Amino acid sequence: MFTLDTRSRVPIYEQLMDQLKTLMIRDVLSQDEQLPSVRNLAQELTINPNTIQKAYRELEREGYIYSVPGKGSFVAPFQNDANKERLEMLRQDLEKIVSEFLFLGGSKEDLIDLIKQIEVAEREDAQ
Amino acid sequence: MIQATAVNKTFEDLQAVQNLTLHVKKGSIYGLLGSNGAGKTTLLKMMAGIYKQDNGSITIAEKPVFETPDTKQHVLFIPDQPHFLHQSSLKDMGSFYKEVYTRWNQKRFEQLTKHFRMNPDKKLTRMSKGMQRQAAFILTLSTMPDVLILDEPFDGLDPVVRQQMKNVILQDVADRKMTLIVSSHNLREMEDFCDYVGIMHNGGLLFERDLDELKTDIHKLQVAFKVLPDKEEFLKGMDVLHYEKRGSVLLIIVKGNEDQILPYVKSFNPAIFDLLPLTLEEIFIYELGGVGYEIRNLIVE
Repeated sequence: MFTLDTRSRVPIYEQLMDQLKTLMIRDVLSQDEQLPSVRNLAQELTINPNTIQKAYRELEREGYIYSVPGKGSFVAPFQNDANKERLEMLRQDLEKIVSEFLFLGGSKEDLIDLIKQIEVAEREDAQ
Repeated sequence: MIQATAVNKTFEDLQAVQNLTLHVKKGSIYGLLGSNGAGKTTLLKMMAGIYKQDNGSITIAEKPVFETPDTKQHVLFIPDQPHFLHQSSLKDMGSFYKEVYTRWNQKRFEQLTKHFRMNPDKKLTRMSKGMQRQAAFILTLSTMPDVLILDEPFDGLDPVVRQQMKNVILQDVADRKMTLIVSSHNLREMEDFCDYVGIMHNGGLLFERDLDELKTDIHKLQVAFKVLPDKEEFLKGMDVLHYEKRGSVLLIIVKGNEDQILPYVKSFNPAIFDLLPLTLEEIFIYELGGVGYEIRNLIVE
């Protein structure tokens, strides 16, 4: 279900959060579905249960999941905020790529053309 | 769960542990890191009740450890060199532990022995270092400890056994809220395993903190400019631990909040800018560098 990159600099609880979010956004984990228990995940992934608890706590704080005492954690009703966050992440990635592109001598016009092309392609796809 | 307060320990004229205060929460996995000779093993042995501190107090679940059999029933220590009774096999050691530890779990002992493919009748002294360590783990985990104190535990274990041992330990942490304190120099491994770390140097504790908090509070910046801004001017607005110029790329270690550092650096219009979290190894090196224990490269004769 999960693959964690233990060589990554990204803390494990953040990796866990990101992966769970992706699963929820893509509807692999649907609303009110139960998340694996801390114990199961710890055993399955061989990671510290405190790390999993932390990821769950953060996800609950951000409104992605809710917990039922004595039962476990469940996927919360879908919110548009999730998209907003993903957009912000993509924007940051783009910023990095675009600045490298410009730094290496790529032109602004090229980029704008590229965006237009993608837009056209998308529209054709839609039709 | 484990509380050490103002602990001192001297061996003849060597002050091994100096006015050390430390706290480990229940169910936590605490990584004790430090330079060579920092006093980690001495501290662990005091926690396990093998040494008595000169002064200060060490308690586990609010009870002292030294010469307190009740506490020692549930506080298990695996030293860096496992020790077994003379001429004994794993089976013999098992029956010995069974007499000593009231919570001994025979079923678990047999299950682990089989799972790790140990021959219970072979003499332990004739086994390799790694096999002896496996035996020590099996015996220790079969006593169902509440607190596990490990000194360089995964040293000498192959990656397969290492992963499986960790898995078994983590199940105990998840199920029974077992508390762990682990010393190691393998920071790569500690990074994934621990949730709390303390760094020791010269007998004292430099700091102890939640590992993730520690990592979100310290960053590595890699910045390059088309036109280099004035160094003083640029560094003024940040809490800089380390500054290095490699060609036209600046490498800076900064303490502080990401949300403040990002816009600040961006206001100088960098051509390339990366903000990375530090690895535990880097944190260790820069923090110890701060107290004069830095890497000095030597070109050998």
